[in-house]
Amino acid sequence: MSAGIQTEAIRPSQGVSRPTPTGSAAGLGRLGLRGIALLYLGLMVLLPLTAVVVKGFGDGLAALRSALAAPGAVAAIRLTLLSSLGTAIINGVLGTLLAYVLVRFRFPGRGLLSGIVDLPFAIPTLVTGVMLVALYGPSSPVGRVLGRHGIHIVFAPLGILLALLFVTLPLVVRTVEPVLLELDPAEEDAARVLGAGAWTTFRRVVLPAIRPAIAAGALLTFARALGEFGAVVIVSGNLTGQTLTAPVFIFQLTSQFRPEQAAAVATLLFAISFVLVLVTERLVNRREEAR
Amino acid sequence: MARPKMRTIAALGSIAFIAAACGSSSATSATGSCVPPKTPVITFAAYSTPREVYGKIIPAFQAKWKGDHKGQSVIFQESYGGSTSQAQNVVSGFQADVVALSLAPDVDIITKAGLITHEWTSAPGGGMVSSSVVVFDVRPGNPKHLQDWNDLTQAGLRILTPDPAQSGGARWNIVAAYGAATRGKVSGVSASDARAQTMLQGIFTNVKALDKSARDSIKNFESGNGDVAITYENEVFTAQKAGLPDEMVIPPSTVLIQNPVAVVDKYAKAHCVQDVANAFVDYLHGQHAKDLYTKVGFLRPIDQAAAAQGDGDKFAPIRDLFTVEDLGGWNQIDQKVFGPNGVFTNAYKASHG
Repeated sequence: MSAGIQTEAIRPSQGVSRPTPTGSAAGLGRLGLRGIALLYLGLMVLLPLTAVVVKGFGDGLAALRSALAAPGAVAAIRLTLLSSLGTAIINGVLGTLLAYVLVRFRFPGRGLLSGIVDLPFAIPTLVTGVMLVALYGPSSPVGRVLGRHGIHIVFAPLGILLALLFVTLPLVVRTVEPVLLELDPAEEDAARVLGAGAWTTFRRVVLPAIRPAIAAGALLTFARALGEFGAVVIVSGNLTGQTLTAPVFIFQLTSQFRPEQAAAVATLLFAISFVLVLVTERLVNRREEAR
Repeated sequence: MARPKMRTIAALGSIAFIAAACGSSSATSATGSCVPPKTPVITFAAYSTPREVYGKIIPAFQAKWKGDHKGQSVIFQESYGGSTSQAQNVVSGFQADVVALSLAPDVDIITKAGLITHEWTSAPGGGMVSSSVVVFDVRPGNPKHLQDWNDLTQAGLRILTPDPAQSGGARWNIVAAYGAATRGKVSGVSASDARAQTMLQGIFTNVKALDKSARDSIKNFESGNGDVAITYENEVFTAQKAGLPDEMVIPPSTVLIQNPVAVVDKYAKAHCVQDVANAFVDYLHGQHAKDLYTKVGFLRPIDQAAAAQGDGDKFAPIRDLFTVEDLGGWNQIDQKVFGPNGVFTNAYKASHG
């Protein structure tokens, strides 16, 4: 999904013409490799996607229309889009901060911290949901104190946001980190020597270099959040029209023997996600070219 | 340039989200004395199957309440999910005022947590509002000639049934087979716990994978897996209505599944909506709701004799329809069938080496 957004260092297709191998055996080998790559991508990604689209839109817009007419459908899609957007923004900012701290600072426990960043990927998302309910649930000690102040996390939209933030935390950190590592600290030192403050240095020297990586990471985060089911189904309480998210709504449609409607809503979701990828890619690339 | 635009979108997004978060979290105000809200809100947690029925019953109740209470509206917040997980959510703080679950033990989970304080089984029909029966969902033409429980033990048959450890409702299927056998109503099987265990062992030898829920079993069956899904009559009717070619076989002896509803008094009191919640549950026991359960949900009447008799049309008569009470109640079944040394526990162990 992020493949289109690349830093200048790794953009092989532009300008550089590669020497073509002369032997026919080498040519065949390349053709074979390309074939395998395309076949794999086709079988693993394109085929299932096509099946979903055909299932959902085989009868035109009828399935989508009837699915959107179901109670809570539009609210579910809105909730999923907003919570995924919020997740992408928050983890985009704080994930970048985490990556910067991990790369630029040396402190005891840094290795451990780096390991903890990956934990959310190692934990089944269903378990994430259970953990959050145990910690913040209305009958847990923390949940009771918060509830007394009118703050509800579990079985409320805030819980959905927390679950999504947890599940997607590594994405921005791990996309930004390698780019930061490549960045020569001497540039930052130079800026500082020339009198730039820490913030100015970050904004004028570091940020422009890692901006595409942040965008790519945030986009991955958004896409991943859009489809999250396991953690959300546990913490949200699935109140129709309020805390019911699109993936859970899709799952409910499949359980009602309405696979066409489920497929139509799923297609709508990944169409939105796809358009967003294209738009962000455009924005980032244009900025790169302007520089 | 794109930068300010992106920033605006981001800001708008977070504001909208925070607004959404605040909007729906202000429903509770459990401090001090109870002032009935001007527009009562009922949070309703139900198992997923009867969703369509409640889509009809709730508006009817809202209209009736409005007529009886000088135009007062009642807002419903509905949540649908697996019966046992709904019960567990209520225990861990999902503040449902009314629950509609698939089986009584799930209501007991809430009772044990101290959230239901009244004797909910003293309502009409023992607190039950609808019922169904355990049946076989088979391929068109019943190619494997499955008629009775013992037919499910034939070698090489592939059976779909949910996991009793995950799905509370899955236990109905096992109780149905166990009850039919111990009541001596399965041809070729004499009435005893030992013979029931042998039969269950034979059935579960043919179960290669346990599904998450009864619905998942049917969904799996639709994808072409298995020769038979053990499931509920209303599920097969729903599948048929959705255009699937399934056929149904009702074994001569099977169990009457009974689905309870109850007011969760602790939460209803906290929200000061007991009167609406109680009126809603009463309405669910009324004739109009009963008709909708039958017509929309394909559920049988709760009365055992009436359910066994059928309606001469959609619902076929059943020769030996027994209830959980006929087998000594859930407590005894939990121990005798599902306990550490229970009939099913042993049969399952033996069938999967």
